Amino acid sequence: MARDLAIDLGTANTLVYMKGRGIVLNEPSVIALNRQTGEVLATGREAWQMIGRTPGYIVAVRPLRGGAITDFEITERMIRLLLQRVGVSRFTRPKVVICVPSAITEVERRAVTDAARRAGAADANLIEQPMAAAIGADLPIDEPVGNMVIDIGGGTSETAVISLGGIVALEAVRVGSFDIDAAIQNYVRREHGIAIGERTAEEIKVAIGSADPTPDENQAEVRGRDLMSGLPKTVLLTPEEVRFAIEDVVSSIVASVVRCLSKAPPELSQDFLVRGMFLVGGGGLLRGLAERIERETEVPVKMSNVPLEAVVLGAGHVIEHYEALKGMFMGARR
Amino acid sequence: MAVSIILVVVAVMLVAVLLIAVSRRRHAADDGVDSFRRQIDALSPEARRPTIDQMKPSEPPPADDDGDHDQ
Repeated sequence: MARDLAIDLGTANTLVYMKGRGIVLNEPSVIALNRQTGEVLATGREAWQMIGRTPGYIVAVRPLRGGAITDFEITERMIRLLLQRVGVSRFTRPKVVICVPSAITEVERRAVTDAARRAGAADANLIEQPMAAAIGADLPIDEPVGNMVIDIGGGTSETAVISLGGIVALEAVRVGSFDIDAAIQNYVRREHGIAIGERTAEEIKVAIGSADPTPDENQAEVRGRDLMSGLPKTVLLTPEEVRFAIEDVVSSIVASVVRCLSKAPPELSQDFLVRGMFLVGGGGLLRGLAERIERETEVPVKMSNVPLEAVVLGAGHVIEHYEALKGMFMGARR
Repeated sequence: MAVSIILVVVAVMLVAVLLIAVSRRRHAADDGVDSFRRQIDALSPEARRPTIDQMKPSEPPPADDDGDHDQ
């Protein structure tokens, strides 16, 4: 009998929690395929290292965009391979809880559960990412107080107000850290005339990217292909330039937080001033983002101790207490 | 005679149906309270501790000030 699993099927990374064991897998959501035969050549970290560096017959892709499945067949194959890696076989079919963005459509929901069932799950249920994040970030959501969680992922940013184990207010935008990378790529192409890959854009974001001015800022050397000559070229990029490049994306995330705050009932609003808001997700690690949200909302923002693992830990807790918490699944009668 | 027996049987059946309906209704209300209580209990910090603590870095062994070790 297989142990039940919780899966954070993220646009950027996939994490798997096994009942009684904890987090057993944490890999990029990438799959590398042979274009001609359709054969899977690599998944996870190995496939991620191939992005933008493959010969013509290999393609390394992320089958999820904006938290939704863009290629059903490839996603199913990726989930099947991930489940196999954690010991799921044709004869051991576990129950699976999958974290998904709260704003996904009914069709997208069905695509995720179908993909999991066809990949080997006996039963697949979905839980909203902000709810799982709040459980995993150890917020006191069992109490009648306002808990606010901001989950910034690769393709979506969600803000939720949670009290007494339920979502009171929610705001989601299909914008995340991949949009920040894309904005950097576009800026460098437009202003410096060089083409860079998405991994280079991500490296720039990590090295000098920020949402608000920070102390000790340095320039970064960026290497790419000159669009005019086609030759390799190096340019210098400043943190101010990167802030300018990503401003639209950052503003959109901050605006969604403000909208969620304005939807919260007044009784809960006062709790945020005392308790603050909690930032989780890889996108939340962008320098200066917590300060920027705090400045624009005048509500304290705290970083979770486990920003990258909070969602899967929350779903893992649900799988550990499956019977008691099955009412929290999407579509369950509450 | 036969009519009165039928009437009594029907009355008894009606009372039985009524009792079953009332008890089911009360049971359903209890179920709601119980399942909500179970959900809230399962979300308490104490219930979450074993899951959350898995991510805490293991504490380093206590420093030995004088450097002596029992061999």
